[in-house]
Amino acid sequence: MHSSWTRRASVPVAATLALGLAPGSALAGGTLRIAMTASDVPTTTGAPDNGYEGVRFLGYPVFEGLVLWDLKSADKLADIRPGLAERWEQDAADKTKWVFYLRKGVKFHDGSEFNADAAIWNLDRYYKKDAKQFDPPGGAVAQARNPFVAAYRKIDDYTIEITNPRPLSYFPNMLPYMLYSSPAQFEKTGSWAEFAKAPSGTGPFKITEFKPRVSVTLSRNEDYWDKAKVPKLDKMVLFPMPEPTTRLAALRSGQVDWIEVPPPDAVPSLKNAGFEIVTGSYPHVWPWMLNLAKEDSPWKDVRVRRAINYCLNRDGLVTLLNGLAEPSVGAFKPGDAQFGKPKEHYGYDPTKGKALLKEAGFGPDKPVKAKVMISTSGSGQMLPLPMNEFLQQNLKECGFDISFEVVEWGTMLVALRNAPTAPQALGSDAMNISLPPSTDISQLALYFLSTNAAPKGRNWANWKNEEFDKVIDRIEKSSDPAEILKDTQRAHEIIVDEAPWAFIVHDRNPRAMTKKVKGFVSAQSWFQDFTSVDME
Amino acid sequence: MEDSATLAADPAMALKRAQQGKSYWRRVWERLREDKVTLAVIAVLGMLLIMVVFAPWFTIHDPYAGSVLRRLKPVGTPGHWLGTDEVGRDLWSRMLYGGRLSLLAGVAPVFLALLIGGFLGILAGYAGGLLNSAVMRLTDVLYAFPSILLAIAITGILGAGLQNTILALTISFIPPIIRISESVTTQVRHLDFVEAARASGARRLTIMRYHILSNVLGPILVYATSLISICIILAAGLSFLGLGVTPPSAEWGLMLNNLRQGIWASPLVAALPGVMIFITSMCFNLMSDGLRQAMDVRL
Amino acid sequence: MWAFTLRRLLYAVPVLLGVSMLVFALIHLAPGDVVDILVPPEVPKEIADSLRQRFHLDEQLYVQYVAWLGRLMVGDFGVSFFTGRPVAEELFGALGNTLVLALPAAVLGFLLGIALGALAAYNHGTWLDKLFSATAIIGVSLPHYWVGIVLVAIFAVVLNLLPAQGMGFEGLPTSWEHVQHLVLPVVTLSLIPMGVISRLVRANVLEILSQEFVGTLHAKGLFSRRVLYHTLKNAAPSALALMGLQFGYLLGGSILVETVFNWPGSGGLMNLAIFRRDVPVLSATIVVLAAIFVVINILVDVLQALLDPRMRR
Repeated sequence: MHSSWTRRASVPVAATLALGLAPGSALAGGTLRIAMTASDVPTTTGAPDNGYEGVRFLGYPVFEGLVLWDLKSADKLADIRPGLAERWEQDAADKTKWVFYLRKGVKFHDGSEFNADAAIWNLDRYYKKDAKQFDPPGGAVAQARNPFVAAYRKIDDYTIEITNPRPLSYFPNMLPYMLYSSPAQFEKTGSWAEFAKAPSGTGPFKITEFKPRVSVTLSRNEDYWDKAKVPKLDKMVLFPMPEPTTRLAALRSGQVDWIEVPPPDAVPSLKNAGFEIVTGSYPHVWPWMLNLAKEDSPWKDVRVRRAINYCLNRDGLVTLLNGLAEPSVGAFKPGDAQFGKPKEHYGYDPTKGKALLKEAGFGPDKPVKAKVMISTSGSGQMLPLPMNEFLQQNLKECGFDISFEVVEWGTMLVALRNAPTAPQALGSDAMNISLPPSTDISQLALYFLSTNAAPKGRNWANWKNEEFDKVIDRIEKSSDPAEILKDTQRAHEIIVDEAPWAFIVHDRNPRAMTKKVKGFVSAQSWFQDFTSVDME
Repeated sequence: MEDSATLAADPAMALKRAQQGKSYWRRVWERLREDKVTLAVIAVLGMLLIMVVFAPWFTIHDPYAGSVLRRLKPVGTPGHWLGTDEVGRDLWSRMLYGGRLSLLAGVAPVFLALLIGGFLGILAGYAGGLLNSAVMRLTDVLYAFPSILLAIAITGILGAGLQNTILALTISFIPPIIRISESVTTQVRHLDFVEAARASGARRLTIMRYHILSNVLGPILVYATSLISICIILAAGLSFLGLGVTPPSAEWGLMLNNLRQGIWASPLVAALPGVMIFITSMCFNLMSDGLRQAMDVRL
Repeated sequence: MWAFTLRRLLYAVPVLLGVSMLVFALIHLAPGDVVDILVPPEVPKEIADSLRQRFHLDEQLYVQYVAWLGRLMVGDFGVSFFTGRPVAEELFGALGNTLVLALPAAVLGFLLGIALGALAAYNHGTWLDKLFSATAIIGVSLPHYWVGIVLVAIFAVVLNLLPAQGMGFEGLPTSWEHVQHLVLPVVTLSLIPMGVISRLVRANVLEILSQEFVGTLHAKGLFSRRVLYHTLKNAAPSALALMGLQFGYLLGGSILVETVFNWPGSGGLMNLAIFRRDVPVLSATIVVLAAIFVVINILVDVLQALLDPRMRR
């Protein structure tokens, strides 16, 4: 792309473009330039790296899964919708089996057809270690995000069957994380590294230019199967820009139209300068995971865990962040259907917090000493240093003596994958890490089931609650939506009341954009839909 | 950066220095006393040092206590005359306390490098032969990295923190100091009076102590002072990349990095740490210039 | 002369070997490896470990080193653990981008430095000398990455005259718009070489002018070609040595400025490789940068020796 970088200079360019068009035709959607927080262009093979930000930008716009997110509405939590599969059903006799009926007439960007063979080929890419298209990093990610693919087979040209190791009612919720790339294009290019230079998926955008570390250009896919969702934009150019100050300068100088995560302190001045700040609101906890396995952990007593949740001045923290986060008092938000009715209503209540600490044998002379591992930066971590410094001061008043183990993001990831008692945890009593958004029960199961205790799974806290495990088991086996919702509420109530985490804030996914960006709907999700956007 | 090497590389000067003996240092001192700029700069640095070391006497606010209610207050706010930072901490307190770590990270590596590099360099220069080759060839390996590259590689890999910063910068400054010390020592060693001392049967250690040390230390010291300014900038640069001192410590480079995002909310406050780094680094540069001039016997 | 050059070149080989060993050892001292960063936090240890095996990270360090060295001998830099792209492709692209910055910055810094230094010396003691000397000392005392931020704030955001970040083109700049992308980072980068060279040139020229016969000529107001030649001949070797060093710093030390301007150069590549623990990219980048630095040093030595035969040791 060679669009000009100043606001002033771009006027004549737009004018010449407009002149080239027939007078009657609606103005073309234009080019949207976005600065991402990633430090490199996420992998363009359909298995994006750079965490879920990679999935947001180089996942769904270009590649699709059997199941997708419904990102149309800003009013309710994003749910799943049919994607490359038109519909699916759980085998009534054997609940471990799911049948997916694939959408007909879907073509990859290279013109080849999406069918059951292509679907199976992609499952082999992620799960079959000796397949020639097996993609080690992509496979590792897919297997972690969806560890429940035990077997799969083609039934006919447009039907496939996937088998789970145990009945799992929420299995379809885990499918949007697995995206499908073109086997024909892979054959043509020969390897994933080469495929990355000329990628081909089924999504509303095609990748038309890829410059490593610099940018990637997505263009409208005129032949997109869902006619209602053919993008309005001509092009979308994505730039990796890890430095917040650089992103800010790029937006303000007119080099990009949209930046992800503006620094909170820049928000008022951006508003003054006429930029829009768009935030979402959905469950995405930024917690302290409390180490319950450590021998001398103060958190073993549930009263101390509840006390910290009462002592946190969440509103103060939100002020610090200029409203770019919102208080979190559970894994879901109080307005969500899944929230339930927990007994504990956390809020800033130091009196109650101190009373609980006193019951647990702590007091002004004997503060709760805890060391929290925090990272200097990292995906979804917001501003870990000032935020934690604020909490440290805030909790001191209540009787918590918090110290920090400041580590780099990479070191924290190592610690997360090992047991909380392992040397990699560096003796920490808690870890401040923001994991993928918990928008459905499938995520909560991964975080809190005792069978997923680290190092085996994502339950770093090593929290174990028999009732919770039983409720999840019931949910997995059930197929009645009402029953599932009721049990999800119960599961969430237990998480809140037992407090294996200090729930601090929800990330609001702030982004700043110029007023020229029109038609963007901020869905209640980490992911967003770019097909409705156009440029004025 | 390397320009003081020219001072060391002139054998005639070393000889002159040597011949002048003790009166040389007296003359240096006299010349220094007349150099008003250098004296002023030394006074400023001295004042800075006092204020930084005795920071509690000059501040009322705790540099680590903040409040969200008074974040990023501008310069001139009552009670916080330099304003407050992004967590609402008093900037004046943080500047003074921050000077402790910044000066430490600026001076300690140079000092350590001077001890280690100076020792190795003088040893190599005096002993010559195999020992010289061994030390100098190892130095060449380290010297193949531009110093900032080496420092970034070390802190990037070993992790952030004050200790690693000091370690990394020390390692980056050792090779140039070894080179300078070796070349000065080699030159002085071959001067007539040292040869004469050796011929008259003086013990090696005595020669080392009296003749070489007294004639070699000056140029190395001048060179080392010129490194302090670079070291302060590099240490702050490491913090800027997130590889230096870790929060919540007060340190100028880290403050610069954290306040950067407030550049539109409170530009003056955001600029202050950068200004402090600049002023301090310039003072050290001027001081080093003054020392060099005073020690230059030709003038 | 040829023998001297050849000897210096041969000597670079063990130095670079030492460098590569040091890099390898350093990387493996670090906590964590590429796999920890490559796959997201939710990937459990077991799967991560299988990936580790695939990259041969479970083998002994020396085995990995020897294998790496063996491939390097035949010119194979390997592929990035992270992106799967050939390291040579990534590295030389990035180096090219860095050169696009470093060359103009060096030319600007050196020319300005020589001009300021020489003018200051010829006007020794006047206000012009003081002004130029002050400029030079400011140049070496400013934290240049901070200057970059301030320049962006003023010229890109407030005045909206120049782009705030990025390179905006590939290869060489071919239009005014491309050149505009260069202005701020080049100016930022040229500060230090300007200051350093200017200080050295001033000192050297002053010294030459203080030599008696030149001084006499100069006092008489005679500024002959002979004086100029004499000055150049005597000031050149040490200035040249310093410029070589400074150019090396520009290549290796551009990392801070590249970070500020989001410039896709070798400094940024190295920073990214450190962060990702991408051993093939990191070791290749450092070894190649060090090799360039060593070669520049050799070139400088050879040139110095050509100018001044006494220096052939």
